[in-house]
Amino acid sequence: MASTRRPGTAVAFSDERHLQAHQFLVDEAYLLDGQDYPTWLSLLTEDIRYLMPVRVTTARGAGFDTAPGMAHFDEDKYSLGRRVARFATEHAWTEDPPSRLRHYVTNVRCFATQEPDELVVESAVLLFRSRGDVRESALVSAGREDLLRRDPTGAAESAGHWMLARRTVAVDESVLRMQNLAIFL
Amino acid sequence: MPVQPSTTSHSQLLADVRRGMIPAHIYNDAELFSLERERVFGRSWMFLAHESEVPQPGDYVVRRVLDDSFIVARDEGGTVRAMFNMCLHRGMQVCRAELGNASHFRCPYHGWSYRNDGRLTGLPFHREAYGGEDGFRRSQQTLLPAPALDSYNGLIFLSLDPNAPPLREYLGDFAFYLDFYTKQSPAGIELSGPQRWRIKANWKIGAENFAGDSYHTPQTHTSVVEIGLFREPKASKRKEGALYWAQRGGGTTYKLPPGTFRERLRYVGYPDVMIERMRTSWSEAQRRMIAEDGFMISAASVFPNLSLVHNWPKVAAGSDDEVLPFVSLRQWQPINADETEVLSWFAVDAAAPEEFKKLSYKAYLMCFGSTGMFEQDDVENWVSITSTAAGAMARRLLLNNRMGLLHDNKPVTPPLAHFAGPGTAYVGYGEYNQRAMLALWADCLEHPLAQAARTELGAP
Repeated sequence: MASTRRPGTAVAFSDERHLQAHQFLVDEAYLLDGQDYPTWLSLLTEDIRYLMPVRVTTARGAGFDTAPGMAHFDEDKYSLGRRVARFATEHAWTEDPPSRLRHYVTNVRCFATQEPDELVVESAVLLFRSRGDVRESALVSAGREDLLRRDPTGAAESAGHWMLARRTVAVDESVLRMQNLAIFL
Repeated sequence: MPVQPSTTSHSQLLADVRRGMIPAHIYNDAELFSLERERVFGRSWMFLAHESEVPQPGDYVVRRVLDDSFIVARDEGGTVRAMFNMCLHRGMQVCRAELGNASHFRCPYHGWSYRNDGRLTGLPFHREAYGGEDGFRRSQQTLLPAPALDSYNGLIFLSLDPNAPPLREYLGDFAFYLDFYTKQSPAGIELSGPQRWRIKANWKIGAENFAGDSYHTPQTHTSVVEIGLFREPKASKRKEGALYWAQRGGGTTYKLPPGTFRERLRYVGYPDVMIERMRTSWSEAQRRMIAEDGFMISAASVFPNLSLVHNWPKVAAGSDDEVLPFVSLRQWQPINADETEVLSWFAVDAAAPEEFKKLSYKAYLMCFGSTGMFEQDDVENWVSITSTAAGAMARRLLLNNRMGLLHDNKPVTPPLAHFAGPGTAYVGYGEYNQRAMLALWADCLEHPLAQAARTELGAP
């Protein structure tokens, strides 16, 4: 069972940083639904770490619920960049024809850290994915813990110039019911 | 009740498969799947786990063989067992986690408990409820052991057939090739994972693909070459590789540029410290396959549903020569005629430098598994095939599985006269290995299984 304790100080929903973080996640969801991956990539810091561990079923009290040393995604800017570049070729068959995607983002809350330009943001995401006309649609449900960092240059075209520096996706299934993860969460 | 196949229709089907023609419905046929469940999966050796997944006493993983759940546990003395995960009393699963460490497994229903070697040790109210040993003999009772359990290079296999031949005999000459993946040093491999996900595809398609489909690489995987991730799958490269089949398994290889044993292993990204261990770990013939023949193993399958892959992508921005190899094991665990659970592990030489392990893991994630850029496009194909194979028209179409054979059954190109490995090898494209896989499949389907013995628990 995931711990509910978080580092940092809870940020009020009325706080501007919360509003910006929420907007960041909603705007990002539209980019991911529309598969506008180059724009999405531009909102990730150069030192991005994008991690989605493999969840496993363990006894209550085992002290862990992810597979040791294994993830679905464990990405840096290079590997994410290759994935995005692949979708831009004419031969990424798994997304041609493209899936219809809908990322539902909710349960957003923020925590301030000691770094004024960093924010820990938690959210829940439900991805609906439909391919073709005869296949059953698929769902992925996950929690996310993000680290947002303000772009020091102010160039990032996002609410409050926030960028995604780290994301850990806690998927809610140990066995995914989706043919692949040719998507991002 | 086992399915009683209509003899004529199945003998025709098996004859078709054996002459290299595939009735398309075999990729989505509920009746055939029932027969496979009994006759393929009821007698074959199937991969269960690797010893490195349960390194310490008490460590366990729970794995299925189709619908049967087994606890693979290392007991306090270090022995690894596989035990049927069903309480002897009323049939509850005694372990409902996927992995962990435990000295005992206690059934939540009535509290019967078992040591991690399977022995029944706890039976609440034994005297009051059963009259003690006079009514139910507790001593000597164990969770049902795997009907047959054996290992090779730390890979633990299970067979539901208590009369299965020894694993080494079953693998036969394929063991020669298995060593390239799983014995790169005397330390053997360690496994991480598995990633698990379900695909709406028949289990045979993946197994056949990995066994010998070098022909799909330039088309299906065009995109990974275009983005500079992988330099090899270009059509001209792929057809220079050898396809080999050796008794219970076979695979594909790439032809490497000229060089020595060391130079060729360096070419795919191995550091010298690992190459030196390979030199001592592999036999003279195994070394010759690389040093003299110049072939490097790539994908492979062991009948029925274990596949392996070894590739060497670029894991960081930089020059094209900076590639890093990885090994993955994967199992095509059948759920139904039209659904498969993929279990995909990352494997690496246990003695490899930590930095190599880290980069090799990264290489694996980019290429194979649930997010792998190769695998994504493979699965799209297999789901589509399975869906289309369900209908009436698929029963009227026989797919051609004869690539590499002329009409008179002579090979398009003769087998390699000089090849260091056992079995038969050909250079160029051909469906030799897919035919070999399906021939083994046909042999299984043709022969009914003897009824297995039953265990009566504590009967008078």
